[in-house]
Amino acid sequence: MFEANMDEEWTAGYREPCVQCSAVDWGVSDEGRFYCRSCHNVIERTREVVDPTFTPGSSRVSTIGKGSRTKKTERGHQWNICEGFQFILKKQAEALIRLGVSPRLKDEVLCELWRLYLQKSGQAFTDRPLTSFRVNVRGLDSDSESAAEFSGRSVSDTDGETVASSTVLSNAGSSVDPPPCSGSSDAVSYLTAQQLRSSSLMTMRKTLALIHIALVWIREALTLSDLLRLVNEGHVPYVNAFEELPDEMKLEGKDHLIFKVETIPSHESVHKEAQALLHVLQLPPFPPISCQSLLHPALLSLRYLTELNLPDELHLWVCRLMEQAGLEDQTVHTVDPLTLYVLPRYGVQTAALIVVTMKAVFGVDDLTEWEFSGQTGEQDDSGNLFNLRRWYKLLQAALIRAQQNKEHDTARKQWRSKRDVSTSRNRKWVAVKKKRTAEQVQICFERLSSRPAGVERIGPSSFRFCWGDEDGADGPGLHHLTLDGVLTLKHGVLTPSHSTYWHPALQQCNYWRCRSHYLKFEPTLPRMFVWLLKLFSFLLDVKPASLYEEVLRVERRVFGSRTPWRKTETKTETKTKTKTKTKCRPKTKTKTRPETETRPETKTKTKTKCRPKTKTKTRPETETRPETKTAKTDR
Amino acid sequence: MMDDLERELGRFEDLKHEDDFSDDNSTRGSKRTKPRRMHAETPRETGFHQSTRICLEHIREALLHHRWQEAAEYMACYPQKLEDTATSQSEQYTELVWRLSTEILHQHPNSKLDDYNSIYERMKHSGIRHYLMICLEHSFHLLLNGHIENAKNQLSAAESWRYGKESGHVRQQQIVKLIQAYRSLLDYMIWCDKRFTHFDTDPSSISNADMHNYFRQASVNLKEILRNPGVWDPFILSYVEMLDFYEDYEEALNVLKNYAYDNTFPPNPNAHVYLYQYLKRHEAPERKLIKVLKILQVLVPSHELMLEYSSLLLQSERKKDTQKALEVVLEMLAFACWKSNLDAWKRLKDIIEKLQLEKNWKDVVSDKMAERKNWWPALHFTSFHFRTDSEENPELVEVKASLTKILCPDLTMKYSAGQESA
Repeated sequence: MFEANMDEEWTAGYREPCVQCSAVDWGVSDEGRFYCRSCHNVIERTREVVDPTFTPGSSRVSTIGKGSRTKKTERGHQWNICEGFQFILKKQAEALIRLGVSPRLKDEVLCELWRLYLQKSGQAFTDRPLTSFRVNVRGLDSDSESAAEFSGRSVSDTDGETVASSTVLSNAGSSVDPPPCSGSSDAVSYLTAQQLRSSSLMTMRKTLALIHIALVWIREALTLSDLLRLVNEGHVPYVNAFEELPDEMKLEGKDHLIFKVETIPSHESVHKEAQALLHVLQLPPFPPISCQSLLHPALLSLRYLTELNLPDELHLWVCRLMEQAGLEDQTVHTVDPLTLYVLPRYGVQTAALIVVTMKAVFGVDDLTEWEFSGQTGEQDDSGNLFNLRRWYKLLQAALIRAQQNKEHDTARKQWRSKRDVSTSRNRKWVAVKKKRTAEQVQICFERLSSRPAGVERIGPSSFRFCWGDEDGADGPGLHHLTLDGVLTLKHGVLTPSHSTYWHPALQQCNYWRCRSHYLKFEPTLPRMFVWLLKLFSFLLDVKPASLYEEVLRVERRVFGSRTPWRKTETKTETKTKTKTKTKCRPKTKTKTRPETETRPETKTKTKTKCRPKTKTKTRPETETRPETKTAKTDR
Repeated sequence: MMDDLERELGRFEDLKHEDDFSDDNSTRGSKRTKPRRMHAETPRETGFHQSTRICLEHIREALLHHRWQEAAEYMACYPQKLEDTATSQSEQYTELVWRLSTEILHQHPNSKLDDYNSIYERMKHSGIRHYLMICLEHSFHLLLNGHIENAKNQLSAAESWRYGKESGHVRQQQIVKLIQAYRSLLDYMIWCDKRFTHFDTDPSSISNADMHNYFRQASVNLKEILRNPGVWDPFILSYVEMLDFYEDYEEALNVLKNYAYDNTFPPNPNAHVYLYQYLKRHEAPERKLIKVLKILQVLVPSHELMLEYSSLLLQSERKKDTQKALEVVLEMLAFACWKSNLDAWKRLKDIIEKLQLEKNWKDVVSDKMAERKNWWPALHFTSFHFRTDSEENPELVEVKASLTKILCPDLTMKYSAGQESA
């Protein structure tokens, strides 16, 4: 990574701070002696001792002979930023395939998407390229040699503006060309273009968005949350992914601004990015996501139920609710420019379905579910009944443990690249010195604590929790337990024992004006409900607010005017209606009404329905009319 | 420890990057902004910053609960913060790492001197602001571990350290003074070693000249430094000892007098003690000694030298001095450390006995006791005191009992009127 400048060649990696001024900036005088360029202190010529335990105060350094004066202008091939991204995408796809994703991902899907992206964003395969550079794109399946092959073009056109930035190079007698401020040939124009138009040029975050789209395309059972978790745990290269670039592609200066990563993007931001990318790519209809697909809530919910140690029996109810909400249809889940041009958030949607199901079955109003748990505790002789209190205790303990582990891992996570990542030549010496200091301190404490820094690598797993009898499990499995405690058989039909269902006002607000009311409503919502949201949002690594919005969306679908409410119809025979207790003031016209949402415990208030006279309980949406009047389903 | 650290760090908000040569004092003042918290969570925090912030929180937590192993584990993950390019406060983080590291090393059972050396050297060279401070701390640590030569080398290196305008900074100059003082102190220690090894053999050999060399090195600095107001106890002692050895009594006395009587120096009882001891060693007349102790008595009435003071006063021929001695001892006995001291009580008895030779002794005693009679019985002469004294020191009981009637004649004494009569 070192520039081919004469002094540097001779100082040959001597990085000791100067005794006088503690700077690391060595030059070689005419007599061939080392001197410090910042304080002109001449020292005995020394060579770096390659010993990690080396301490400058106590160790001796040995003198060496003058190094060879032949200078090498090793700068690697000339390459473009796009190629860097292409290489990183390739590595990410390979990592995913190693983790068990279908091999079609790389060659068939991602490669095509990448080509399409380059074309649509005007970077390649077009008559009028975005910038002056040409990109030589090979398939992602091509190996690194051919990926790094270029059209032999002169670099002189970009060198002009980089000379100014390399003013440190004041060493007299050096006849070397001023090195460019980046290793790639187009980093400067890339950055400028990016800043000027915030265009659709590639970014590191976009690599994840593209991978996500590709995964959805091949209907792989990896949700965005899973992908981000793999990235965070380091199973998919992302942080310091540029370290895997081949040696010919040297990263210098400005390149780091493009490839350096200091954060794992959030679920929300990657989803947004993917959404934007979808518009750029203008893809044909995606392969349909049917009930058999693992991304479909029908199967995805099964996975989450297993993960959260909920009884398998609940899956039946989730499926019934899914039908009620009209979410079993594959068109709801398949991206199609004609019907659905929104990338569904499969994980969040499924989690919302489970939350709504639990509300329907257990109540989740801080009262009903505990009453039921008490009753089941008394009835349960065989130990086969699912007890929500027991489940809550198990999950709460596991959740706290998992959150603590996650925090510890966050604290221990190492972000810095082992390679030099200074963005400008002026800073290079400082950066090298800082890196070495940090390394030494780290080594010292690793030895002291006899534990390496960083997060311990664990095998990739789809599951965060582990239930069962084996060692290291979070607790006993409750999957086989039955829901008989909370269900009653009435006229031959199993129904939830409690007859009320509460939900906040379902009125849809202006998406642009108010994003989320979660923070405002959170204190008034039942604690159990909030806890459920937190549990799922931890599982999916999303904000509770966005899950809350998704729950509202599902409830809107269930109770909305457009969707038939078949579930209640079946129950009318048994007279146990699932009533909707919608709390709303008839006069209110405003959209944000936090005071109208009171917790269902205050029964006196909650019973005040807007139209108490309604006889036809079969259509609960008539009760929710004040909201549904303005409400549209989310489509 | 943590509070101090944060406050100290707050002072350097305006620190610029060490390699920024445009560093200018005049622009620095205007750049001072409201100090903001170093490790607060910000809404748009990157993952890297989040990691280091949480890591620091864990280190603090572990330190506060004395979980040193855990602290060391997290400390291994923290140095990446030093590579942070997005912050302008890198100097603060250097200091943070330096202080945290040394704190952990001090407490961790497995820490070795090599670790200290490595950390100190690294931190020293990663920022100029703390170079001298770390040098000083490093040499202290070496001294604690008995590496006097190494410590001296450290200090000598630090003494010759210059860094442009930075070394002209007031703060740095103060540290330089300290470094010079300690370096001289080490010179003195080596001088002492040589004195004891060569004293018996040959007083006028080369080693003697060598020894004198150390003396000269030390005295040049010490003389200069001791002019600055401050508390220089160990330094002054060593300087005086060397001057004494080379029989420069006048200079030694001057230095000590200056140290004791210069008003710009903070009040320091030890200064008077040293002066007294020096005078005593050189057999100065009693009046001079009494003069020094008189000032000391004002500063510290409970000082251990007060026994000597009272005996000096007692030996004096003047009537006034005996009364003064009575006052000194009475005042001493009001302090818990002297309350049941046999010597002090005996001295009081001696004084009373001497006073009794005079006619008006009762007036003198009641005069001195007038302000004490309200609380002295409760402080010294209760039946509880009698019990404890008779358990611990029967002789004291006798002395005290004999004095009760004389000191507090008005009150009904409980001291001897316990269950058993003395």
